[in-house]
Amino acid sequence: MLFLDHLPPFLFFTGKGGVGKTSLACATAIRLADQGKRVLLVSTDPASNVGQVFGVTIGNTVTPIDAVPGLRALEIDPQAAAQAYRDRIVGPVRGVLPETVVKGIEEQLSGACTTEIAAFDEFTALLTDAALQADYDHIVFDTAPTGHTIRLLQLPGAWSGFLEQGKGDASCLGPLAGLEKQRSQYQGAVAALSDARRTRLILVARAQRATLREVERTHEELAAIGLTQQYLVINGILPQSETSGDALAVAVWRREQAALAELPLVLRDLPTDHVPLMPFNLVGLSALRQMLSTPEVSAGDSVDAVALSDAPDLATLVDGLIGDGHGLIMLMGKGGVGKTTLAAAVAVELASRGHPVHLTTSDPAAHLAETLEGSLANLSVSRIDPRTETERYRQQVLATKGKNLDEQGRAMLEEDLRSPCTEEVAVFQAFSRVIREAGRKFVVMDTAPTGHTLLLLDATGAYHREVARQMGASGMHFTTPMMQLQDPAQTKVLIVTLAETTPVLEAANLQADLRRAGIEPWAWVVNNSLAMAKPGSPLLRRRAATELAQIDAVASRHAQRWAVVPLQPDEPVGVERLQRLTRHGTASGENITMNDETYNAEPRVPRKQEEK
Amino acid sequence: MATIQVFDPALCCSSGVCGVDVDQALVAFAADVDWLKQNGGQIDRFNLAQQPLVFAENAAAKAFLERSGQEGLPLILVDGELALAGRYPRRAELARWAGISQLAVEAKPASGCCSGSGCC
Repeated sequence: MLFLDHLPPFLFFTGKGGVGKTSLACATAIRLADQGKRVLLVSTDPASNVGQVFGVTIGNTVTPIDAVPGLRALEIDPQAAAQAYRDRIVGPVRGVLPETVVKGIEEQLSGACTTEIAAFDEFTALLTDAALQADYDHIVFDTAPTGHTIRLLQLPGAWSGFLEQGKGDASCLGPLAGLEKQRSQYQGAVAALSDARRTRLILVARAQRATLREVERTHEELAAIGLTQQYLVINGILPQSETSGDALAVAVWRREQAALAELPLVLRDLPTDHVPLMPFNLVGLSALRQMLSTPEVSAGDSVDAVALSDAPDLATLVDGLIGDGHGLIMLMGKGGVGKTTLAAAVAVELASRGHPVHLTTSDPAAHLAETLEGSLANLSVSRIDPRTETERYRQQVLATKGKNLDEQGRAMLEEDLRSPCTEEVAVFQAFSRVIREAGRKFVVMDTAPTGHTLLLLDATGAYHREVARQMGASGMHFTTPMMQLQDPAQTKVLIVTLAETTPVLEAANLQADLRRAGIEPWAWVVNNSLAMAKPGSPLLRRRAATELAQIDAVASRHAQRWAVVPLQPDEPVGVERLQRLTRHGTASGENITMNDETYNAEPRVPRKQEEK
Repeated sequence: MATIQVFDPALCCSSGVCGVDVDQALVAFAADVDWLKQNGGQIDRFNLAQQPLVFAENAAAKAFLERSGQEGLPLILVDGELALAGRYPRRAELARWAGISQLAVEAKPASGCCSGSGCC
């Protein structure tokens, strides 16, 4: 494994949920400890199973792992860190200021930025405490701060107003104002991060085209701020030996190989390791020890076929969507779960039943929308390019608001405009032009703002004004836009997830966030299910077996209504294949193609550093 | 010299960048605050989301929040007395409260009557 050679003291594993960061971090930490190194393993995974892996309760204190001499572990819960931070700010005024005011303040501090900065605050000490570092040869993190957070911390303007005086013009850096540590400590942490002799960044991905595109963006963003010491690990690759006699396995293998062959250019120069799909669950010491040491993986014992016999399909869900024959349908979920594909499938299903439908997508690849355009008489398709919309919004803000700012103020504003919220707002602003049609037909969207953003926009009244302006003379009756989204008769939210631990947890968080905004998700859809696809390969059957607990959690704990969509052997483009995807028992392994878009067709987020 | 205190509503970005439209009033006011400070004025801003304790400890601000809620903000106190609420002051008002010569305001004569809301 290249990423294990000549290791500096700090290791960060980064990648989207479900790619196996925590497993890799654990395996790496065990391996180093086995070599006699003193190692601290730091997990910030909200679904951290590090304690489970070692059979120890860890939590927020450094805990020795008796089974692995030399290894200690620490779990930081970013949600708890953010809560502690909120309590620090809000606690003293609870019961003193009016309840509604306190609630408003809490919402301000409930965004993703707060969580991320609170987590960064937690591990800043680990990067800068010399005494602590003397105790360890390596500190291994199963997560890394985003480029946005690091850039904010690098801006001199960010500090003068907040930490030093505690007042001034607020910005998205707001969350920093209440942090406890000194500026010099944050500077030290950022310096350690960008020092190749001290820090190695390991990008973790799966052999999926969209996932690799996302890693490409992360790579560029972090490289642009000086974190150039990067390695790439492609995890969970299906071995060719698994493909004999299983059409689905052949399709998966071909898709993965095609994705690897088309690796984005900027990633090709990175030292890269491939880790095969393991024939066992990555729980327990022996499993994790094998992860980084077995060059050839045998398929292991044969596994019985796993089948979900009575899981509802997407077509059954659509039955319940019909209602009055119009309405807004929003598919929500993390990047890479297949929102666009499922939005298209829902739209096609509704249209083929004779309803007028407008599908609006932010899929950058465009091919999905293009193949549908004109295919069904009552289906119209429009596309919103998140990159264009965000850029337009950014330019508009800079031209109006930015024109009188000095250089430092302008730099702050530009960084604020690179925050994830900006894109969310810009894209939703574009979508809101279409939403008004939902009074007459079905409008299906493959994205939606988070509950947090909705609450903030609603609180400031800005969202209301904007939509009122958009709706203008259209005459559609509405009370407030927030109420339209909250009314299940008018709006139905479908949460899309994968049958894996972290994606399900992320989806549950998304649901909690929406509920805070008074929006109750109407249904959950588990996409790309192996269990539903009934693979023949023993390795895939093992993976399928692990899905059952997650699907059960969705069905019994999280969702009011649910459906499972099987992993497709071929790319679901065009009306016919999309229809096959919505009905169980019709999809099977014929017509295998080499595309990997089954996995998803996610929006290509604008590359952030190009506007400099 | 009089001390001006500005109690801002709770905003993720008081710049308004996170909203769907950017509040020009906030931008202009930020510039006016800068101007006042450069001319020796004494002015402090408090963001409800970041320094709620200041609101809780200031009797006037606390009573205002109880009566009008955060929708009533911003609140501007001059030497602890309520001077303005519900909108941001114009540069000329700031200058008057701070006792800064009108000559210094000359650079922006248009900020007098009829340029903003609530006037004329």
